Amino acid sequence: MRLPALLLLAALATAAFSLARARAAIGSTRAPLFAPARGREAAGVRHAFTTAFLPWAKESASGHLATYLAGIVYHAGVFAMLARLILTLPPVRLPWIVDRALAALFVLALACGLGLLAKRLINADLRAVSVPDDAIANLLVDLSLAAGCAAALAPGAVPSFQLAGAVLLLYAPLGKLRHMLFLVTSRTLWGQYYGRRGVRG
Amino acid sequence: MTAPALEVLRTRLDARTAAFLEACVRCNLCAESCHVYLADGESASTPAAKVQQVARLYRRYHTWSGRVLPWLTGARELDEADLDALKDAAFGRCTMCGRCTLNCAVGLDPTAVMGLARAMLVAAGKVPEGITANVTAALETGNSMRIPADEVRETIAWLEADLRESTGDATITLPLDQPGKRVLYALNPREIKFFPLSIQAAGLIFHAARESWTLTSADFDITNYAYFACDRATAGKISARVLERAHSLGVETLVVAECGHGYRSLRWEAPEYLQRTYPFEILSFVELLERYVAGGRITLNATRNRDRVTLHDPCNLVRNGGVIEPQRTVLRRAAWDFVEMTPNREHNYCCGGGGGMLAASEYAARRVATGKLKAEQIRRTGAKVVVTPCHNCMDQLLELSKRYELGVEIRTLAEVVADALVVPNHNH
Repeated sequence: MRLPALLLLAALATAAFSLARARAAIGSTRAPLFAPARGREAAGVRHAFTTAFLPWAKESASGHLATYLAGIVYHAGVFAMLARLILTLPPVRLPWIVDRALAALFVLALACGLGLLAKRLINADLRAVSVPDDAIANLLVDLSLAAGCAAALAPGAVPSFQLAGAVLLLYAPLGKLRHMLFLVTSRTLWGQYYGRRGVRG
Repeated sequence: MTAPALEVLRTRLDARTAAFLEACVRCNLCAESCHVYLADGESASTPAAKVQQVARLYRRYHTWSGRVLPWLTGARELDEADLDALKDAAFGRCTMCGRCTLNCAVGLDPTAVMGLARAMLVAAGKVPEGITANVTAALETGNSMRIPADEVRETIAWLEADLRESTGDATITLPLDQPGKRVLYALNPREIKFFPLSIQAAGLIFHAARESWTLTSADFDITNYAYFACDRATAGKISARVLERAHSLGVETLVVAECGHGYRSLRWEAPEYLQRTYPFEILSFVELLERYVAGGRITLNATRNRDRVTLHDPCNLVRNGGVIEPQRTVLRRAAWDFVEMTPNREHNYCCGGGGGMLAASEYAARRVATGKLKAEQIRRTGAKVVVTPCHNCMDQLLELSKRYELGVEIRTLAEVVADALVVPNHNH
């Protein structure tokens, strides 16, 4: 096994370990609630992961449609890129048309990522809440998307893709990329809150 | 005073709040959901900016990357200046209305984070004096306005006599301290001091519904300023008084007068503060009114309220309390021309007076300025009457009406219902 692949395996292990620890920490403190529920938590959680994502369900999405769509494409590209990254380890050869489609998605996602970064640099309110981690995390993801695109088009670029992916995954436990895990938790809590109180769901 | 604040950060930082702090990606899409930011346009007023004040401390003291590489994540140590900035953010730029929570792209709850900030500020002694004074009064005297039980009894007796005289019905009573009744109707002390008409309105409605009910001269106060301070231990003590009173009177239902935070703190938060359940139902008066209307226990004549009426949704009752439709059902029956403001229901804007802001005189100018959004909402409806089932909102709306020359009357739901009530005279 070559060095990039080994690095990637190590990074995957680090990321998985961090995720498992965070998950355990969250799961350990789900205290019982005493106030009688008005609605159903489960319905709220279902809403949180489905209809609440629709652009018209939130003013923050409908009022920022370009950013919302860029975010959707960016994250779709990131998840596809991570899946493709893992498939380089066995390695798995995908039909050429799938790789071409993935390459196109990665390019689109890369453009969206750079667009979101540009917005962060230009918008004064966004700059006020930004930290170096925001730019570094974005650029590392963008680099992996670019490498993923290259690897999808030319198998010779797979080691570079693995290396970029390994760096990304090693960086993930350090900063904002942790939101990959905590997003699931926070949306679950959001759904439970509004579902239980009968506001949504 | 940083050490006590950091100790609170350490002890009160539960997994839920930590998850919120970790989940924030600083996208700032929440900005326009905040009425404070919409009013002043300052970067410091965005929910993301307020959350980041706590998130930076969280990273510095509770993440190893924040300890080792603080520059990377913006982690920073807490100093006195930070505490002042935190006070400005948590008490001066946030009414804990939760509109940002509803609109957060990743589902985090900035009000939980601001709650943590407020608890830290309590430990650091950086709470607005007005809020502290109300908490002290509640702890010392049993209510936030220091009203003695004798004064409550005298006021209720006077209101009862006046009600009998004005209606010509000698059978109307405002029962006080009577055990074994079905309902305990607990009050906001502002009603006793400044808005007695809302007590009379409630009395008339209970009379028409032939309800078995009572008021109480002690432990009647549904307000809870410790809830605003997010001081859970003290908030629990304050809420426990009303709840224990209801328990000792043996009622089936504790009905909370029209007060948003009073309802939320008793209905939703107190059982969690006190880690127990109670053998009675806790209802907002709004919910009870809907039951009366739906069950035919009261009859309303909407032609008695012909002016256009609009409804302000108190954040703690609606967005955070789940009481969304009952007030609408009742108003459609009680008012001839009821129109919604836009946006409404759980999307409604805070009036600007929530979260203890009305008690924090140092932010009074900002409070009135942030209320402009609400004033414009009201103006666009063309309403002559604004109904709000919350005495806190009522105070703010009264001030907004003057400041922005809205020319509207601000009323509780009970007052509008009482005017529309077809009262059976039990004398006959």
